[in-house]
Amino acid sequence: MKVKDLANSDLFTAITLPQGDREINGVYVGDLLSWVMGRAQSDNAWVTIMSNINILAVASLSDTSCIILAESVKLEEEVIKTAMDKEINILSTNMDIYNTAVYLSKVI
Amino acid sequence: MKELSLNILDITENSVKAGATLTEIIIEELGDTITLTIKDNGCGMTDEVLQTVLNPFYTTRTTRKVGMGLPLLKLAAEQTGGSLEIFSKHIDKYPNSHGTTVKAVFFKNHIDCAPLGDIVETVKTIIQGHPDTDFFVFHKLENGEVSLDTRELRQVLEGVPLNTYEVIKWIEECLKEQYSEIQKG
Repeated sequence: MKVKDLANSDLFTAITLPQGDREINGVYVGDLLSWVMGRAQSDNAWVTIMSNINILAVASLSDTSCIILAESVKLEEEVIKTAMDKEINILSTNMDIYNTAVYLSKVI
Repeated sequence: MKELSLNILDITENSVKAGATLTEIIIEELGDTITLTIKDNGCGMTDEVLQTVLNPFYTTRTTRKVGMGLPLLKLAAEQTGGSLEIFSKHIDKYPNSHGTTVKAVFFKNHIDCAPLGDIVETVKTIIQGHPDTDFFVFHKLENGEVSLDTRELRQVLEGVPLNTYEVIKWIEECLKEQYSEIQKG
């Protein structure tokens, strides 16, 4: 499924969607950035509650198709601007990480 | 990083890459804080580089567009209510006193504080990987201190490389002995 398809579903909202046509081919879940950096796979949707600007670098390095912020975690304006600049997709959901992962396992 | 010692490895690697001949690794565990200080005499950074070094999209490596060592150390420290400071003098401006100091303060009672990790293994890894540069390691605890200076080792060893198996083994024993002395009180 494409990132834009997920963004269009009721459970998710796009915060940034510069590359909506990217495919999601799997999911990685984690909050310890250095850990995620070496483990998330290219084209994964990465589900996290971290909101620091460093998440953008992690997403960029691991080439994930999108970051999914669980539990409606909010981002600072600077992070959103940088995400647009670096063309990183960010979606938000009010589900917690577990339920987000369970949902994704059904739809992708 | 799951352990603070991994940050030590990472930052020390920057020092060696900056051409440091001596890197001081100082860990102070006093009261409810852990302070990590990595001080080197490498080429240092210009003010321009210093401005960008905490930006996760900046790096000294050419193969990646982002360098995460310092941003992640800053995040790890700030997550515990602590802080990160960087001081640097570039070789062009300070030909006789150049180098970089990175100082991170962690509050160890904070629930998000990562464990310190295995300092003995960390020091072994550093020396093994960089036998030709010098390191001064100093770990200060409430009830004692542990130290190792490769400059002193080198004098005694008279040309034997520091990454020789027996030397690394000796370093391990020396550090472990100092830690067990502290535990005995």
